[in-house]
Order: sequence, then C-alpha cells, then structure tokens
Amino acid sequence: MEQFDGKDILEIMREDLQRALKKPRHERRWAMAIDMKQCIGCHACTTGCMSENLTPPEIHYRPVKEEETGEYPNTGLKFIPRPCMQCDAPTCTPVCPVTATYKRDDGLVVIDYKKCIGCRYCIVACPYGARSADAGHYFTGDFHKNTYEVENSGEYGKTFRRKSHWHSPIGNARKCHFCIHRVEKGELTRCTTTCLGHATFFGDINDPKALITRLISRPNVIRYKEELGTKPMVYYIV
Amino acid sequence: MQLFGVLVPEKEQLIATLADITRGKAGFSLYAALIGLVAGLYAIAAIFIKGHAHTISTSSLVPWGLQISTYVYFALLSTGCTFVNFFGHVFFEKKYKPFASRIIFVGIITAVAAFFSLATEMGHIERMYYFLLSPNPKSPMFWMAIWYTCYLIIITWEYVNIQTNRHSEKVMWGAFFIAIFTHSTLGSLLGSVSSRIYYYSALMPIYFLFIAFLTGCSLTTVIAALTVKQKGLDEQYHLHPFVTLLRVGLGLALLITFWRTMIGLSAHLEGSEVFSLTLINSVLFGIVVVIIIPYILLKMGKSANWLIFVGLFIMATQLKARTDLVVGAFKIPVFRVYDMPEVVHYTPSIYENLVVVASASLVALLYLVFERSGVFEARNIKEVN
Repeated sequence: MEQFDGKDILEIMREDLQRALKKPRHERRWAMAIDMKQCIGCHACTTGCMSENLTPPEIHYRPVKEEETGEYPNTGLKFIPRPCMQCDAPTCTPVCPVTATYKRDDGLVVIDYKKCIGCRYCIVACPYGARSADAGHYFTGDFHKNTYEVENSGEYGKTFRRKSHWHSPIGNARKCHFCIHRVEKGELTRCTTTCLGHATFFGDINDPKALITRLISRPNVIRYKEELGTKPMVYYIV
Repeated sequence: MQLFGVLVPEKEQLIATLADITRGKAGFSLYAALIGLVAGLYAIAAIFIKGHAHTISTSSLVPWGLQISTYVYFALLSTGCTFVNFFGHVFFEKKYKPFASRIIFVGIITAVAAFFSLATEMGHIERMYYFLLSPNPKSPMFWMAIWYTCYLIIITWEYVNIQTNRHSEKVMWGAFFIAIFTHSTLGSLLGSVSSRIYYYSALMPIYFLFIAFLTGCSLTTVIAALTVKQKGLDEQYHLHPFVTLLRVGLGLALLITFWRTMIGLSAHLEGSEVFSLTLINSVLFGIVVVIIIPYILLKMGKSANWLIFVGLFIMATQLKARTDLVVGAFKIPVFRVYDMPEVVHYTPSIYENLVVVASASLVALLYLVFERSGVFEARNIKEVN
C-alpha cells in the first residue's frame, strides 16, 4: 500500500503530523500501525532505528521477529516488527522507584536518562521485552571505537554522548520512543520512513482524519498481548 | 551511652587484632575472611572502573543475575536472624540469651552485606538520592528502600538495647513486624511482576518470609554452635531451640516450595512452561537437596560440630536456590527475535562470583573481629559485676 486514496502514504502521514503538532501536546495521542501483510522482513526499520539512535550492540529498539508457520509443503514466514508499545497502561512506569520512566501527556512512555539509576526493574516488568540494558558495549571494541559509536545520539531532543560507563545512556534502561526528537521537528519516525514495504504507519489517533485512525478502525486489527491489560498503542493489521 | 567496648570493639582490642593479623596469629578463619574481602573488593573496584560490559554477564535477556540473588540471599539471612531473635526471646529465653547479641549483630551486618552486592548491580548507584528527590510510591522497590531503612534502624536499636542490658519488648516486637513488612515487600517486588510468570504470584511475599526463616535459622544455628563450642556451654541444652526452629523452618520451606511449584505447573499462561522446564531442578534440588536432606541430616546428630555442618549445608544450598529463583524467570525470553536462544542460559562471571565472596567475607570478618574483641561478652561481664 504505497498509496492511499491516490496519495503517497508518507505524504499523507506528514500532513497528519503537521496537523497534530499544531494542537497542544495533551490533545495528541501518538500511535503506530504495522501492516503484517506488507512487512517483507527486510529489517530496514531495525537498521534505520540503530543509525538514528546510535544504539550499541544488543540494544534494538525495533527488532523484527521471524516466525515460521505451517508444515512442509504448506509453510509460510511471518514477520512481526516490535517497537515499544507505548502502552496506555504501562507495566514499566509504576515499578520505577525514582519516576525516571513515565508517561507523557501525549501518551509516550519516555526515560529520563539523567535520573535512571539502572536498577533494571522496568526491563523485568515489560511484557514485550521492549526495554534493554545499556551495559556499555561497542561494535568495534573499546580501544578503537568508531566515531559513530560515540556521537551524540540526540534522543529525546537532548545530547547524550557515550563517553564512559559513568555517563548516560550507558548504565541505563533504553527503549524505543517513537523518535520523539524527529516527530517534534515535524519528521516521521525513522522506521516509518525506512520501511521498504510501506508497512509502518504513524500518527495521532486523536485526529479522526489521520490515516492511522482510519486504518486502526478496521476490523482486521489486533494488539499484541492485549489480554495483559496494558492497552498497547501499536496496532497490527493482519 | 558507652560506645567502645559495648557496641563496638575498644580501640586497644582492634589494634591487638590488627597486630595478630600482621604477626600471623589471627587464625585461619580471619585470614580466609580477609583474603575473601580483598578479592571481593578487587572485583567490586573492577566493576566500577571497567564497567558492566567487561565484568558482569547480565544482559537485556537476563537483567538480574547473581548480584541481585546475593542481595536477596543476604536480605533473607538478615530477616531470618531477626525472626530467630524474636522467637528465641519469646519461647526460649534462658537457652537463647547467650547468643542474642551475636545473632542480632549478624542480622545488621548481613543487611549491610546485602547492599554491598546490590550496589554493584546498579547501573548508576551514584543517583540513589533520587529515591528522596523523585520518589514513586507505586513502586515496590521504593517501599522496599523505605522499609529497609526502618529495618536497619530498629535492628540496630535492638542490638544497642541487648548490649546495654536494656532489652525492650516493644523494640523486639517492632523489629519483628518491620522485618515482616520489609521482606514481604521484597517478595512483592518480584511477585507483582505480571510479565514474568515465574515470579508472578501472591505467594511470593509469604515464600520470602518462610525462606528467610529457614535461612536465618541455619545461620544462627552455626553461630550458636560456634559459641557453645567456644564457651564450653551445654550443647544439648543451648542448641535445642535452634534445632527446633530449624525443623519448623524446613517444614515451612517444604510447604511453600511445594505449592509454588504445583501452582506454577498448573498455569497455562505464556511463559509458564518455565515451571516444567525447571521441574527436575525444582524437585531434585529445590526440595530434595535443600529441604529433605537437611532434615535427614538433622535427624542424624545434634552435636555442635554436626549442627555447624548442617547449617552451612543449608546456607550453601539456599544461595543456589535464590539464584535459581531470580534467574529462572528469564529462562524463556518474553519476545524472541533473530538468533535468540529458546532457553536462555546464564553463567555468572568471575567478578560476579567474587561479589558473593566479598559479601560473605564482610559478614565473616566483622563477626570474627567483634567476637575476638569480646564485644558480645561485655553484657555478661556487666551482669556479673
């Protein structure tokens, strides 16, 4: 689905985004929809996310699960991308002893890197495995770190440089934040723009005209582990 | 209130102990504790200097490892000491009295040793002040910190009261109830995590209290047996309360472990297969080795030496059982991608093992130094005078 009502879907989502940003923050509700039929398992979203947020080894904000279905010769391959679900009733925020992770008024679950004590309770509490512990690993080793590994990540619109294990984000819990640093500048999330199959949709579900609102109102939409009562804000179109 | 000689060793005694250490006359236990502490401190320094990436084996898949289980273990030991102190005073007053100050002192130092281990697991321990600046009353971890502080204060107060011959029943009851609140909160910290079926259970706070009782009984039995041997007391008479409490502890542990396993096995929720996956270990180790064998050993003898062996056996098996409990929840990943294993295995690094050694050595060293300095006898001397 590269086009919707004859228009390019990225263009539609950008217009939706501009409209949403004109509203006060508390009136927005960011959500994501992933079309499972369109996902080709290329991992471009994973790669795009890693380059956007400069995530170190073992930290993936948006991995893609590959699942084989059926039995030979009637087999199939299913891809399930998994960003942070930005739950409306998150299990990770109530457990944080120092309120370093919290839900913003636009529904995004964020982490205050400067406050996080690195207890990892939120990682244990997340039922989606969406949180990772940044222990301080590098792709290229300790002594010959490439510059891209220590550049400012710009997450949450701030400057986080991986100087040493005493400096955040090393030692912290980390997770997908719907590229809020891009979104607040009027850009779509990185995974939405890099998706080859145009399977990822992003927008404000409080806007009835937004593409995402129209997509998730269809009957073929599910939410992952919805039975846990977490009210995830990532919808899968099946 | 006299501090030196009553609550802590006199300066002269400490200098004499130090001199004995340098002269090679401090005895095997003290040297072993000292070496253990130095090795452990080296590991802790390495963790802080090199960072977690190069020293510990925990990851996003296994966020809590040996250091957290060591924290839980020592916290339970401390609670157990407070429980034994309470039941000892209430039910076995005369038989228990010679050990009271030792046991409550060990309760304090095991609580401190628990923090020793916890500190090395945190990503940013230097930000602990946020517990005060930005508290989250919804978090069990926040309440655990609050109760823990109260607990440390009240057991220190209990120690002061015992050492100064002003034992107060109110403080003793207070310590008992605060110990229950503190360590059931620690149990709720795991028990309220709905995403990990291995933890998620209303039984968890009670499980922690029962296991704390057993673990504390084993440690206090070792302390009592050592004291009986050292002071030449009547073994049968003075060790009887500890044997009774150990039996009760084993019974409670059997009850709670059995039902936790059975309820876990009957679950049909995502991730509950971890109970079947760990069933052989739960039965063979968690019940047979941890509970039934110690019970048989307890039946086989009641001498001080034998009770030291039984106590140490229970303590060693409990350390592994705590690691199995803490790490067991991460065996099956909640979301499996790429080349993630179906069953996650965790092997602690040498540094993590040395943190356990550091915590144990800290307890042993402080106890031996205080014992050697005659602090625990100060009360008796005062009574005689």
